[in-house]
Amino acid sequence: MATATRFRTLKDMPKEDYLSPGNTLCAGCGGILALRIFHKVLGPKVAWVNAAGCMTVSMSYPLSPLKSNWLYTAFASAPAGAQGVRDALDVLMAKGKLPASEDLKVVVVSGDGAAYDIGLQSTSGAIDRRLDFYYLCYDNEAYGNTGFQMSTSTPYGSSTKTTPATAAYPLGNTARKKDLFEVWRAMKAPYVATLANSHGLDFLRKVERGSEIKGPRLYIAFAACPTGWGFDTRNSVEIEKLAVQTGVWPLKESVNGAVRHTFVPRALIPVSDYLKTQERFNHLFEPSEKTEAIDAIQESVNVYWKEAGAREGFEVKLPGSSSR
Amino acid sequence: MTVRVRFHGRGGQGAKTASRILGNAAFNDGYFTQDFPIYGAERRGAPVTAFTRFSREEITERGFIFSPDISAVMDDSLIADTLANPFSGLRRGGVAVVNTTKAKGSVVPGRDDVKSVCLDLTGQALKTLGKPVLSAGIAAAVARISGINKEALLTAVVDELKDIGLSAEMVQKNVGFAAAIYGELSPLELKTEELDAREELVPLAVVVSEGGIEAVTQAGNSAIRHTGNWRTFRPNIDYEKCTDCMMCYAYCPESAMAVGPDGRVKIDYDNCKGCMICMVECPLKAISQTLEGGA
Amino acid sequence: MKGRLLTGNAAAAAAARLARVDYVPAYPITPQTEIIETIADWVREGTMDSKFVQLESEHSMMTAAGAASLAGARVFTATSSQGLLYALEMLYNVSGWRAPMLLVNVSRGLAAPIVLEPDHNDVLAARDSGFLQLHSETCQEVADLVLLAYRVAEDKRVSLPAIVNLDGFYLSFTREPVVLPDQGKVDQFLPPYEPVSPLSASRPVARGSAVMEGFVYSYFRYNLHAAALRAKNVFNEAAGEYEQLFGREYGPVEGYMLDDAEYVLVMSNSFTALGRQAVKRMRERGVHAGLLKLRMVRPFPTEEVAALLRGRKVVGVFDQNLSPGLGGIFYSEVAGALYHVKNRPKAILPAVGALGGKQITAKEMDSVFEEMVRIDRDGVTPSPMFLMRDDELARVRKAVAIAEGRS
Ligand code: SF4
Ligand code: SF4
Ligand code: SF4
Repeated sequence: MATATRFRTLKDMPKEDYLSPGNTLCAGCGGILALRIFHKVLGPKVAWVNAAGCMTVSMSYPLSPLKSNWLYTAFASAPAGAQGVRDALDVLMAKGKLPASEDLKVVVVSGDGAAYDIGLQSTSGAIDRRLDFYYLCYDNEAYGNTGFQMSTSTPYGSSTKTTPATAAYPLGNTARKKDLFEVWRAMKAPYVATLANSHGLDFLRKVERGSEIKGPRLYIAFAACPTGWGFDTRNSVEIEKLAVQTGVWPLKESVNGAVRHTFVPRALIPVSDYLKTQERFNHLFEPSEKTEAIDAIQESVNVYWKEAGAREGFEVKLPGSSSR
Repeated sequence: MTVRVRFHGRGGQGAKTASRILGNAAFNDGYFTQDFPIYGAERRGAPVTAFTRFSREEITERGFIFSPDISAVMDDSLIADTLANPFSGLRRGGVAVVNTTKAKGSVVPGRDDVKSVCLDLTGQALKTLGKPVLSAGIAAAVARISGINKEALLTAVVDELKDIGLSAEMVQKNVGFAAAIYGELSPLELKTEELDAREELVPLAVVVSEGGIEAVTQAGNSAIRHTGNWRTFRPNIDYEKCTDCMMCYAYCPESAMAVGPDGRVKIDYDNCKGCMICMVECPLKAISQTLEGGA
Repeated sequence: MKGRLLTGNAAAAAAARLARVDYVPAYPITPQTEIIETIADWVREGTMDSKFVQLESEHSMMTAAGAASLAGARVFTATSSQGLLYALEMLYNVSGWRAPMLLVNVSRGLAAPIVLEPDHNDVLAARDSGFLQLHSETCQEVADLVLLAYRVAEDKRVSLPAIVNLDGFYLSFTREPVVLPDQGKVDQFLPPYEPVSPLSASRPVARGSAVMEGFVYSYFRYNLHAAALRAKNVFNEAAGEYEQLFGREYGPVEGYMLDDAEYVLVMSNSFTALGRQAVKRMRERGVHAGLLKLRMVRPFPTEEVAALLRGRKVVGVFDQNLSPGLGGIFYSEVAGALYHVKNRPKAILPAVGALGGKQITAKEMDSVFEEMVRIDRDGVTPSPMFLMRDDELARVRKAVAIAEGRS
């Protein structure tokens, strides 16, 4: 897609903020940063439809951090809420009861708990109905709002409150992270993309590109979570950058099923450089290094990039499994 | 007599842990004990309240402490915070324990019937722990003031901090922190008296005649929350070094930066939470940090 | 004969069309499905100007319904039984949003075991949800109550969602003459929906916020309760107008042969017809029997129940529902309404029957009245009745024996 972009450098980021200062989320939250940037591209006429998560409690009566509309629905059914809002606007406009200037962009915003787990049924319905909406998932790889329990987005090797690393279970979570990107692609969603706050230009352009498409659009925003992951708030963006540079978080998009990596690292940094920055992976290094587990993580990243490169015709220099 | 302690902190400072250390310490010292936290919508940095009761007789109270004997305030910015209102209901003859470097003497506005104990816990914590985590220190202060035995306290510090997963090294540092604070203080007499309640019940008819549909029609009004007082560190822009590249602006999660008509970025200190992402992301190293409340 | 033959389901659909609903999110479940099929047909034929969407669950259906209502659309939907329970989380949300949409529930017993015929455990599971509830006895009532419910729900003094209930099979699939109101007059009765603070591009709003503090929560919940209580007078007002326009009279409750009645049975929904027959038979036998039908279930018509049951000798409550470990649900509600009445009846007889649509014979129905008379005569404390005949018990036992390989 070689359409012209209004974003040439990060300086072109719109100067209007539709997220007001004074939200109640953790300082340094990657999730709210993603929402802020997303909103800038969409403009003010938005109806956010929310499923239970950290953002839910950011909307704490009587204050609203959004200069746009907000509707909290339930954990499991935000996409159905989006359906109701979209349909209502459409039918009211069709009947002449609402001027087109009152139209809204409908955006589901949820964490990974809703997007990967409890809301997946509702999501599948909305995709099948080709609902014209955006889904912004701020993916902090666990149930952050309830104190960091595993979700199906939790990566291999992460400890969470419900998959703690213990002597008998030294790796924490041993399930693989669900590939939500591919789930949506398999359901023929016209646009699916991953985002990282650290790669702002890529972020802006993807939201811009998605806006030109009608139908269900998914954005999975990697959302560094200082509270759940255990790192100093100041490193929030740096950790996202590392996730991209180590290849743990590939930046890509799928337009009508065709996948393209929007950022191809020339050489991957070893995953341990990323894992080491967060307490949720501490047990992989302390008291002794779990080499096998770290190698397994590295290997799965390597395989991913080898396969992606073969499909798309690029080559990425991979770190050896012992190059930590 | 029941001693009622209300801890006020900001999320991440350890108010809940403090209430548990104190509860555990009193328990070790042979008291009947009760401790519990209240969670709000807020995350790290927002006001948090936690409670401890202990008594030689069985405790028959439960729930929120409206009239504390001791208000333990872990962050002096909470004093003016109407959401936290840390001294509400503090009994006559009660004690305000406050972590501060600014205030000396009485810290409870308009009350000459309470005692004040001011401590620089943040300074101590940064020195001994390297982090502004105050639970052990504030619990130690309250334990000492209310006459709890030192061994009982230090055992509680170890138990509670181990329980939340701190490394052995960190636990030991906290024991040192607690012992130091304990040593600075001496017990205070806690002869207290409840303030006269001035509340009145609202007739039902008043409540139900108001309509009462929950809707925020002033969308975007959250700036009046003033999350600026969550800060531990304050970012400062050196405009001499700054080249207006806007990296900091792009990555501020709070919309606490604006780009002025002159193209210069400006920090909204009323709401900047002090995450310091801007400092790390500034390619010119034009942003520095200072400790809030520091001299 | 006036009107035309319509099933309860068809009457519900027709009334939705007359109400000019904008939006119908739907999901199939027996015995409600006919309603949404009918509407889907009309929308695709172009004879109903609404948007129809089939969702992937009742939970989603209710979410879409409530959200659309908040965005300014008049919304209709329908469900039954398990579907209502699956949607239950959202019922609380939608009423908390104060979104005045309408849900038709076609009553059906709840699993397990699975059953298709009606009792009221489904709709009564929603009794604390904040939805207004109107229950119907006839197909005509279904149509009329749908229109009345919109008028009351959307009234600014109320602003609450509503359920209109009808029994599966006994109304849903039963055809009987129904007079459908004239569209012009309906438009007069039911003005276009004007939402309170809808989601809007020019005047954005946040709905469904977290409140976090108990006192704020208490305030809004109690105001929801107050709005539900106000709904009774608003209903009476609307029903008065409805009678003038359409000639049919509806109150929160309906008495049958109450004037001099000493033994009054309280009933609801379609089985009330069986109660009426029993009253007639008892009257022929010289017993002063009467019946009180609950039409409005939420808000509960406490004053009407008290006024119409005071001074009776014995009251019976026929509950087509069962709260295990308690008994019938309406029994407690009626007893509560009577407690402070000066000359309250000397006894209230709890009778549970017709669960899962179990048929009730004349003899069973009469037995309830006979028991009321006996309680009065012997001055005994009533013990709960559970209606089941010996032939039925024999058949159940046989089935159990077969299931367990003992036959
Ligand atoms: S827990 Fe994590 S995702 Fe949730 S508000 Fe805090 S930083 Fe953000
Ligand atoms: S420290 Fe910087 S990035 Fe963080 S809230 Fe303040 S201005 Fe924004
Ligand atoms: S990132 Fe640094 S140089 Fe760039 S605008 Fe901010 S303060 Fe100035």
